[in-house]
Amino acid sequence: MNAPDRYERFVVPEGTKKVSYERDTKIINAASFTIEREDHTIANILRMQLHRDPNVLFAGYKLPHPLQYKIIVRIHTASQSSPMQAYNQSINDLDKELDQLKNGFEAELLKFSKDY
Amino acid sequence: MEGASYARMPRVKIRELKDDYMKFELRDTDASVANALRRVMISEVPTIAIDLVEIEVNSSVLNDEFIAHRLGLIPLTSERAMAMRFSRDCDACDGDGQCEYCSVEFHLRVKCITDQTLDVTSKDLYSSDHTVVPVDFSADPSSLESSDGRGIIIVKLRRGQELRLRAIARKGIGKDHAKWSPAATVTFMYEPDIHINEDLMESLTLEEKREWVDSSPTRVFDIDPVTQQVMVVDPEAYSYDDEVIKKAEAMGKPGLVEITAKQDSFIFTVESTGAVKASQLLLNAIEILKQKLDAVRLSEDTVEADDQFGELGAHMRGG
Ligand SMILES: [Zn+2]
Repeated sequence: MNAPDRYERFVVPEGTKKVSYERDTKIINAASFTIEREDHTIANILRMQLHRDPNVLFAGYKLPHPLQYKIIVRIHTASQSSPMQAYNQSINDLDKELDQLKNGFEAELLKFSKDY
Repeated sequence: MEGASYARMPRVKIRELKDDYMKFELRDTDASVANALRRVMISEVPTIAIDLVEIEVNSSVLNDEFIAHRLGLIPLTSERAMAMRFSRDCDACDGDGQCEYCSVEFHLRVKCITDQTLDVTSKDLYSSDHTVVPVDFSADPSSLESSDGRGIIIVKLRRGQELRLRAIARKGIGKDHAKWSPAATVTFMYEPDIHINEDLMESLTLEEKREWVDSSPTRVFDIDPVTQQVMVVDPEAYSYDDEVIKKAEAMGKPGLVEITAKQDSFIFTVESTGAVKASQLLLNAIEILKQKLDAVRLSEDTVEADDQFGELGAHMRGG
């Protein structure tokens, strides 16, 4: 009866920002990104991609509560970079990787349907 | 400022391909990407499924909601789903989600007039859109499903019973309700790397070799009938159960075999419900994941707000 609507898990409510950014007040080059209506799928690939960036000193994420549909990604970088730069970079790199995967799979699909 | 790229160049190789089944290798990436693909295929690639049912007549033995639930679970061909609108985002119909851009209408009218029990199946559903119809397993001879060509049974009617209804199918995702999931199963495993210590292996008698080989619950190893050497016949049959390792230790031969999981190689198995082809399911998953990544990019105003904060901060620090 009082169950929340199922779509609340993936539809960002009106007036809410998808991604909000908050600098750490004590540590320079550290910040938290709160991403609304996302889960492990996005958080974990971002985290692992951030680990590939040598300027990233720390990258981690948490899902604060299973019924709060948001994730918090925390990034701490070296002074040559910034959390925002590392965050953007990781998204660009993942996007590039997925493009490569798509092209690779399409080529393979074409080859496969020709061969068999 | 544009930094260096740390993007990987993953490789894919298809091993087996059917309409509703695919097995492929994914290499040069990590478990996070493999798992994201798996998760997206199961719960975020959209399909079309019946979401609203108006029952006109139902004198069958099943109650209305029981039938409505069953209708929802019937997979519908959903090649259109990626381009379709979600009813909640549709501005062509004001919120009722019944326009051509975001819905497909179905009708079902069946009455039993003989003494023979009548099966009402997915084949009795008439669609307003010929591209969105109940999945027909009999069409593909290579399908995993049995091809009796009778469709998916909904209810059985006896003489005089009737079922008449109108149904609206909408676009949705598995995260909302499992009926929208295009995946029957999607799994991946780490490719095992198996090394037999040949010197230690040769210290075993044939009897002992046989005993060790048979200790594996799955057929990973075998003995060459000619050379009597233990060989790996099917590394992927290994289920990381550690049985052969424990057996080697119990036999006083620790280190007889070393098995590790390659951290960058995965073997995927994709089984589709038939709503979209297995190969298309992966392509759609990649597309959805790209869209999701795009959605989590920082907005302009967030960046601007931080730039101001940065200047303010620098000012306060005496910069
Ligand atoms: Zn509409």
